[in-house]
Amino acid sequence: MEKARISSIQLFLLIIGFLYGSTVIINPALSAKNDAWLAILLGGVGGALLIGVYASIALLNPSKTLVEILMDRFGKLIGNAVSILYIWYFIHIASLVFRNFGEFITTMTFPETPMAVVIGIFAVLLVYGINSGIEVMGRTSELFVPFIPVTALIISLSLITTRDFTAFLPMLENGMALVLNAAFSFITFPFGETIAFLMLFPHLNKKENLKKVAALSVLFIVVLCLFIFIRNISVLGSDLMYRAIFTPHLTSLLIPGLNVEPLIDINLLIGGGTKISVCIYAAAKALSQVLGISDYRKLTTAITTFCVVLSIWVYENVLEMFSWAEKVWPYYSIPFQMVIPLILLFLSLKKRAEPSKSRE
Amino acid sequence: MKCRKDKYAVKIAILAVLSTVLLLLTGCWSYRDLTEINMVTALGVDRLEDGKVLVTVQVVEPAAIQSTASGKGKGGVTQQKPVFVESYEGETVFDALTSMLSIVDKKLFLGTAQVLILGEGLSKNGINEVMDFFQRNHEMEYDTVDVLVAKDVTPKDLLKIETDMDPIPAMYIKKTAENTVSRAKVKRTMMIDLIKEMGNSGRQAVIGQVAKEGEKEVRTEGAAVFRDGKLAGWLDPYATRGYLFATGEVKSTIVNIPADSGKISMEVIRSKGKVNVVFRNGEPALLTIQVVLEANVGEYEGERKLDSPDDLHRLEETLGEEVKKEIRMTVNLAQKDYSSDIFGFGTQVHKYHPQYWKKVKDGWNDTFSKLPVDIKVDARVTRTGFIKGQIKKDG
Repeated sequence: MEKARISSIQLFLLIIGFLYGSTVIINPALSAKNDAWLAILLGGVGGALLIGVYASIALLNPSKTLVEILMDRFGKLIGNAVSILYIWYFIHIASLVFRNFGEFITTMTFPETPMAVVIGIFAVLLVYGINSGIEVMGRTSELFVPFIPVTALIISLSLITTRDFTAFLPMLENGMALVLNAAFSFITFPFGETIAFLMLFPHLNKKENLKKVAALSVLFIVVLCLFIFIRNISVLGSDLMYRAIFTPHLTSLLIPGLNVEPLIDINLLIGGGTKISVCIYAAAKALSQVLGISDYRKLTTAITTFCVVLSIWVYENVLEMFSWAEKVWPYYSIPFQMVIPLILLFLSLKKRAEPSKSRE
Repeated sequence: MKCRKDKYAVKIAILAVLSTVLLLLTGCWSYRDLTEINMVTALGVDRLEDGKVLVTVQVVEPAAIQSTASGKGKGGVTQQKPVFVESYEGETVFDALTSMLSIVDKKLFLGTAQVLILGEGLSKNGINEVMDFFQRNHEMEYDTVDVLVAKDVTPKDLLKIETDMDPIPAMYIKKTAENTVSRAKVKRTMMIDLIKEMGNSGRQAVIGQVAKEGEKEVRTEGAAVFRDGKLAGWLDPYATRGYLFATGEVKSTIVNIPADSGKISMEVIRSKGKVNVVFRNGEPALLTIQVVLEANVGEYEGERKLDSPDDLHRLEETLGEEVKKEIRMTVNLAQKDYSSDIFGFGTQVHKYHPQYWKKVKDGWNDTFSKLPVDIKVDARVTRTGFIKGQIKKDG
């Protein structure tokens, strides 16, 4: 176990960067069209509960990573098997974010550049960051993540004159089912994916802050997403917003006499970079613990290379990416994000109850 | 000792390799120099009889503009034209633009486009089909392109005009549309507004109209009314202003009203318009248009002096009536002749009465045409300029 430590504020910013990650370009809540704000709120509540579960698991098993917890609770054989599934899941998330990122850059900024080049260069940078250790990742997020709300604010203020604040009317036009569906998608992506942080929580220097940090970051992201949604719909109108492939980018194009689309690219680089780093770090760390390798750094390059290849191979086209994120991902994620963590929580609670009895 | 030196050398080597890589990664992949592209300033799109699309581009030559600006070139050398205009047929807009490279030397860059002119033939057939390209293409700048519909002239002929006022004809056309802020007689539609409204069945598109005026000039006046993406008819300059008053797009304009002995030009300096739908028993019963405007006396061709507040109150009334008349004219055209809800009443219904909207969505334009419209204009006259009345000879 390395002795690296991250502070509460660093963890807070890492979670924000992670949650914001690719949500900036694919926000599953938007499938609720006009009522996405409701989906964001409902999803935020669900997401907060879910992250609360993860934080409780971490607190009940102090200084243990997800793999160690799984081994403790499920025994060696099943623990190993489930860990390997989780490693796959983290790798999968990382590749999907890679793909989102590549797809965005090739659609918007460099249409003639092969996606492999875009993703590859980004990956090299991230490997360097991950190999520098969790402390460096924490400090980097401290430096960069604050840019995300600042750019969102800049773009919003520049567009303050071209707005229609009644654009989100009428309410619930397409029924509550659509909203609930979107809210559920929004819980699984991005909130449920923070399960990867169970590999990072042991590094937090003040454990007592964990729940507070988690709650605050969720609150922050919900407010930010709401803010961005209201901006987008009041500028674009619900029809165009639903038609656009990358909504925030289109919004930023409309600022009169100013070209700020690179700001969105920067947001994505920061958020996506944080998310991919955390996922790959979690995967490498977990794999090293399963295999009994002392240093996870030996595995990062291999895992990242695998992610890059997978990211290019995983979807045939851009629309598949969107329909996957909205339709398949939520259900695929249920066991990883909800079923296993809930079992873990239950077992951990039972475990805590037992020794106190036996001591008496 | 030797070993340490080796390590040092390796470090330098790595640094050297990294810096070389850095040098190779400077530009963008598909970077093109200014001299390697043709900057498109205006686009014209028309539909031919056989269903093909005729695309016209106006391309600017930056070098030629410079020499035009710095005094008519050198003696004896033939002056290069600042722009050239080319047309090409294709199955789609994109096809035509790319195939056009068989007669044009460098790749056409659309990011600099200022004006998009739609042909009358195309407009009658429907504009939604060709607008797809402009939304999809990553080079287009939605918010800087003015869209106009050419009346009685093809976009090609219009773009061939060479005016003396601006070296780039496209900029000249754009500016004549832009100056509607002071006259309000042409509807100015930016591409982004059109794109936003295209999918909206609660409000039909209205696009400014441009026509040819002599050999060297254009006239941007009036507007084209669309219904479900197809040209339904035209608004004359006054009906256009009525439309702009109702939708609150008038910035400033001159409204002429009759006075006791002569006429007065009122300068509208502020105007707000609002449309609404009044529902009774779950059905729309009345459409309302409310306009609040503020005006000054700009010119008085008559003999009376304007010296009491009552005079101004009387002017307010007449001005209100005049504006009301214009709006009424537009409403009649939209309801009776074109059956197209250009004011956006449907959007109001959609927003505040979604259940009812679901029922009438497809036939809204017909419902709209049958509803009574109530127009209220509240005009305020505040100032009379520098003088109170006409110059009069003493005695």
